[in-house]
Amino acid sequence: MTSAILTHGLTKDYGSGHGVFDLDLEIAEGEVFGFLGPNGAGKTTTIRLLMGVIHPSAGTATVFGLDCDRDSVAVKREVGYLPGDLPQFGGMRGSEVVAYLGGMRGGIDAARVKELAERLELDLGRRFREYSRGNKQKLGLVLAFMHRPRLLILDEPTGGLDPLNQQTFHRMVGEATAAGSTVFLSSHVLSEVEETCSRVGIIRDGRLVSDMTMDKVHELRFHEVVIEFGGEVPEAAVRAAAGVEDVAVEGTRLTCTVHGRFDALIAAISGHTVVDMVSKEPSLESIFLSYYSK
Amino acid sequence: MSPRLLLRLHRIGLIAMAYFGIFYVLVNSAAFPVIAGRTRAAQEAFGHSVTVLGAQFSWLLPLPVRPDTAAGYLQWRGYGFFAIIFAAWGLFSACGAVRRDEERGLVESWLSSGVSRLRLLVSRGLFFAALSAEIVALTGAAGWLGCLIAGTPADVAGLVGESAALWGLTLACFGIGLLISQLAVEFRAAAATGSALLVLMFLLDSIGRSSVHRAPFTDISVFFLFNQSNAVAPGGRFDLTATILLFVIGATATVAASVAFVRRDIGAGLIRTRGRHTPELHEVSSNPLLRTPIVRGLWIRRIGALAWTAGMTVTAASVVLLVNITAAFFASTPTLSPYLRGLPGNVHTVLLALIWLSFAQALVAIFAITYVSRWSADDSSGVLEMQLAQPVPRWGVLAERAAELTTTLTVMCFVAMAVILALAPAEDIPIDVGRLLTATALLMPFALTFAAVGALLAGWRPRAAVVVLSTITVISYLVFELGPLFKWPSWADDLSVFQLYGTPLITPVFVGGLIAMLAIVVVGFGSAGVALARRDVAA
Ligand SMILES: Nc1ncnc2c1ncn2[C@@H]1O[C@H](COP(=O)(O)OP(=O)(O)OP(=O)(O)O)[C@@H](O)[C@H]1O
Ligand SMILES: [Mg+2]
Repeated sequence: MTSAILTHGLTKDYGSGHGVFDLDLEIAEGEVFGFLGPNGAGKTTTIRLLMGVIHPSAGTATVFGLDCDRDSVAVKREVGYLPGDLPQFGGMRGSEVVAYLGGMRGGIDAARVKELAERLELDLGRRFREYSRGNKQKLGLVLAFMHRPRLLILDEPTGGLDPLNQQTFHRMVGEATAAGSTVFLSSHVLSEVEETCSRVGIIRDGRLVSDMTMDKVHELRFHEVVIEFGGEVPEAAVRAAAGVEDVAVEGTRLTCTVHGRFDALIAAISGHTVVDMVSKEPSLESIFLSYYSK
Repeated sequence: MSPRLLLRLHRIGLIAMAYFGIFYVLVNSAAFPVIAGRTRAAQEAFGHSVTVLGAQFSWLLPLPVRPDTAAGYLQWRGYGFFAIIFAAWGLFSACGAVRRDEERGLVESWLSSGVSRLRLLVSRGLFFAALSAEIVALTGAAGWLGCLIAGTPADVAGLVGESAALWGLTLACFGIGLLISQLAVEFRAAAATGSALLVLMFLLDSIGRSSVHRAPFTDISVFFLFNQSNAVAPGGRFDLTATILLFVIGATATVAASVAFVRRDIGAGLIRTRGRHTPELHEVSSNPLLRTPIVRGLWIRRIGALAWTAGMTVTAASVVLLVNITAAFFASTPTLSPYLRGLPGNVHTVLLALIWLSFAQALVAIFAITYVSRWSADDSSGVLEMQLAQPVPRWGVLAERAAELTTTLTVMCFVAMAVILALAPAEDIPIDVGRLLTATALLMPFALTFAAVGALLAGWRPRAAVVVLSTITVISYLVFELGPLFKWPSWADDLSVFQLYGTPLITPVFVGGLIAMLAIVVVGFGSAGVALARRDVAA
């Protein structure tokens, strides 16, 4: 099976350390890949390389085995694209923008457009100039999703969307993958990646610093647990339990961190009276922050 | 709000005005001995003819004063005509400064940087005042130099006075533009309303000049006030009060505009039109025109295309109606009549050819430049990126641009041609239909030559394209105009695209020129395709 996206040493050098360097990515069909990084990391640059809008300084990128630079027309037949900055369509109405760009692609599924516009509550009768930021983003999403592409390349797709519409977007991504599509989306919002993605890559200063499946991310995860006992505190047993660290006791209260599964901890405290137990999960944010700062 | 950015925002106006102001004045004054003759007797005879012609044109320009001198001719031909151009520059610059920059979000970002609205508007006004002062001063200097070359130095005090009046007129129109732009929401609406107002004031002045009755409000027509001075002409006068009034109008309008600007919402007009309540729409537009290649671009830009066609048509009609007046002028001017006799064919046909084709050439060249300007705008606004996100090759986008331009040009030129064919018989102007067809058809390769060079520039350096192309056009036009005057070698003339077009209405088609134009079109669009393919889009 060919990969949906495959890059080898992909480089775009803008000089003085800006751009994207030596990017090796492989995204299988059906995956939802979250591309994370702080501002100026090179997310948009990577996406524009995949879209063939800019030419690489070195290296190659392919989409479904097609070269993104040389076969960019064939690539775009398979791709739905949401740019990071939506263009200015001035006085054109939303419905006209859809007809115009859809016409360039050839063949518009009017029913699909209607369905998307209704779900996103986007009024296509208004002029682009009058659209709010969120409305422009919704129009971009309609344009990206309307032809049911095999690959969705979305640059910060939830920017400007309210929480309700973000949920709609997540469902749209879920349906697209259920139908066999692959999704590549960039973001700085980690919770969004957590909800939708099966894999994440982290880019920093133009270099990929980490690439892992969501399962791996969950493995990296730990919980901060606070247990209030009704009587004796089984400190020794808890310390001995696998995956339990940072144990501290204060009166009848025990705090610790649990990596991976809870089984060992639960076995250690069984038979003791537990008055209260709180398990807090640190956000993905703090997991990744340790990556960013490394 | 750096001066560099402001200069960039005013660049198209600057190029146009540098041409009209400086070059036009220089040419018209320096070439006086060539047109009028070098002997006193010849110049007097020329002056007499201009006076007769001037009487017929009095609805357009004030009556000539001492047109037998370079300075008098400059006053009539130069400053008389400039009133319209400088006024339009002031108006459109103001509408652009308010509406265009607001559409671009510049105004909002300036305001959010802590500049007060009042200061913003006033500093834009002061910047334009400085800019226009410079252009007006350079124009005056060019006129002085031209008269010097012509061998009859102009009166410096007169030039200074006339320049002050011209500056006042420009600023008055800028102020009016600022004020009108506060009311409208779109640049187009503001510019159209402003133009209508200027035309009205122009007409008031013309009526006042060519009839005994003076319509009410004529005294506050900016054109009337400007035309009170004709200080460049020997024995002309400078009307200080009228000039001061022009500045007062400019200042008052600017103050009123500031008040309106402070009260209104950014991105809206002072008068809010409440849109009709329309139910939400979730359907894609079913307009088939939007989905058809080439036609979709024509449809989206239909209003502009219609306006240009209307402009071409009106110009064509006016030219036909003016041919007989001009012919009488030429015939009665000893220095010009041999020029006409030297040309083959009927005098009226020749004049129609010369006047119409020079207008048509200028119009289609400018039209091509506006298209190039849009192409480079598509690049920076992200529209090109979005077009390229569809499965279309880059050369496809380029080809569609060229085809759309050619289609609009064809419509424009042939509609104008039809008007000429319809009106000429009534004016007793014999026309060779075959030649008119050829000449009209030749306007396509001519305009596409500019577009091809522009496409190459837009494909290579989109940001510089318009400035570079306009400069090339102006130089090309100057070579064409000045070549015969200064008797340059013919190879130098052929560097001008205007020369390559030839005079197909009166002489056989200039085959070499046609081949050269076609070669530029093919090579230009070909290299544009290569440049666009190799370039990073919107980067
Ligand atoms: N056309 C360009 N010329 C020069 N440098 C550029 C250009 N485009 C991007 N860069 C630089 O490349 C780096 C990566 O930019 P990019 O837009 O890819 O970042 P990003 O990860 O998308 O950031 P953000 O989260 O802010 O959208 C930045 O340092 C940027 O300044
Ligand atoms: Mg970005």
